[in-house]
Amino acid sequence: MKALALLAPLALIAAAWEGSVALFAISPFYLPPLRDVLGAIGANWQAYQAAFLITLLEAVVGFVAGGLVGVGSGIVFAHAPRLKQMVLPIFIVSQTVPVIAFGAIIVLWFGNTLAAKAAIAFYLTFFPVTVNTLAGMEAVDPRQIALLRSFGAGRRALLWKLLLPSALPRIFTALRLSAGLALAGAIVGEWFGAVQGVGALLLAAMFNEQIIALWAAIILAAAVGGALFALVAVIEARLLFWREEL
Amino acid sequence: MTEAAGLLDPHLTVGTAPAGREKLGLRGVSRHFGAVHALDRIDASIPEGAFVTLIGPSGCGKSTLFNILAGLLEPDPGGSVALDGMVVPPGGLLGRVAFMPQRDLLLPWRSVLDNAILAAEVQGQPKKEARALAREMARDFGLAGFEDHFPQQLSGGMRQRVALMRTFLFDRDVMLLDEPFGALDALTRSLMQRWLLDIWSRYRRTIVFITHDIDEAIFLADRVLVMGARPGRIRMDRAIDLPRPRAAALITAPEFTAIKRELLEVLEEESLKTFQAGQR
Ligand SMILES: Nc1ncnc2c1ncn2[C@@H]1O[C@H](COP(=O)(O)OP(=O)(O)O)[C@@H](O)[C@H]1O
Ligand SMILES: [Mg+2]
Repeated sequence: MKALALLAPLALIAAAWEGSVALFAISPFYLPPLRDVLGAIGANWQAYQAAFLITLLEAVVGFVAGGLVGVGSGIVFAHAPRLKQMVLPIFIVSQTVPVIAFGAIIVLWFGNTLAAKAAIAFYLTFFPVTVNTLAGMEAVDPRQIALLRSFGAGRRALLWKLLLPSALPRIFTALRLSAGLALAGAIVGEWFGAVQGVGALLLAAMFNEQIIALWAAIILAAAVGGALFALVAVIEARLLFWREEL
Repeated sequence: MTEAAGLLDPHLTVGTAPAGREKLGLRGVSRHFGAVHALDRIDASIPEGAFVTLIGPSGCGKSTLFNILAGLLEPDPGGSVALDGMVVPPGGLLGRVAFMPQRDLLLPWRSVLDNAILAAEVQGQPKKEARALAREMARDFGLAGFEDHFPQQLSGGMRQRVALMRTFLFDRDVMLLDEPFGALDALTRSLMQRWLLDIWSRYRRTIVFITHDIDEAIFLADRVLVMGARPGRIRMDRAIDLPRPRAAALITAPEFTAIKRELLEVLEEESLKTFQAGQR
């Protein structure tokens, strides 16, 4: 049922793509027919598969690390308002540095490694997660906190039994947003001289004006993004089952 | 919902008169919130095993008093609360009395059973053990068959029973119930009152029960404490010696209405004060 709900829009996009190319006689320079693009992917399947896996790995590593650090720092900030006042502004300033500029430095530091791309994905991921974790924990009904305290709950019990579960919906909102950002981070990281990955394919196709390869790389990027998003959605459905019943 | 009277515990017919030993004592308890004087030198003594109701106009400080009795708020310096004859230090009541706030505050990600065991779990009781106990208790609380439902799937009355069960499972001698039936319709409320008396007679706890409904206050209680308009003070402490078990029709009996008239007089005077204060 769910797979069907996902497939239907995809089929619609494919049909619109093919249909408009045929109907408006669009030059292949602007939009090549979808079947040519898919054909190119099929013909070079192993290379595309490798690029998909590499970029997915980079993005996932950065994303998971960013998610964990984001939740962790959100928890710390929620418990230490003074620390929050000191450190959160630094986090905010860090986010004003454009990822392209930041990416150049990271690649300088880490070289052309998986760590470098993951670090950029991390940089884009952790901040929204931090902010939403914090906001989610601060939005908990004080009467609910009072109730648990009257049961004799300490900080630890409050955190695990009330604050974190209450913040989960907001944390997942941030994670869904961050999934796309992590992918963008990994691709930007690949632009600084990587020879593998979706970003490298994109750049190579662009420089060589290989329109079909360019579109193939775009579809590949969408596939990585979709995979990341699906990962988040599966975990979310497990943890936030109770929200569906609202 | 309630069992037939014949099934009730024999306690019910015997133990109306409370044992007399003081369970909870308040001595000169006052409380300010900035300029707002919420409570003014409250003195009260709650005997062990008694069902005491607390009634008063809204805003007179009932919930504030409960927060103090639950250990969530401290009284102003000079006042003190004693539990089992011992004056309790600041914060010392946390975890020692079973508090049920005005709202059910059920956690939407926990099933009925897991909501009910929340307090027991926080106290470190193993989950499995607590669940087993809760499963047995569910029938008493009219929740049989709903153990694995989630709060969102329940009616208001059922949610309230889950919250009550949570309070009972938090195995403490003293229970503080803040307007537990305030949001229910009259019919459900009347059923729940008799059900609560039934449960109380089986589990034998000291109960302090806030309400703004006079009938409810009299119907349930061994004693009614009437609080006055802000600053909250005890205006009246009335023993209710109506026989138990109490049937729904009791509220039309002449003895009942006589007590009601007495309480009404005091309450009207106090409500009027609140009203006039609002007009000024
Ligand atoms: N945390 C608080 N801060 C400031 N004022 C409060 C607070 N809690 C209660 N009050 C005030 O104390 C008075 C008594 O409130 P409350 O105990 O809730 O009354 P009741 O439960 O009898 O309706 C009210 O005027 C209320 O505004
Ligand atoms: Mg109140």
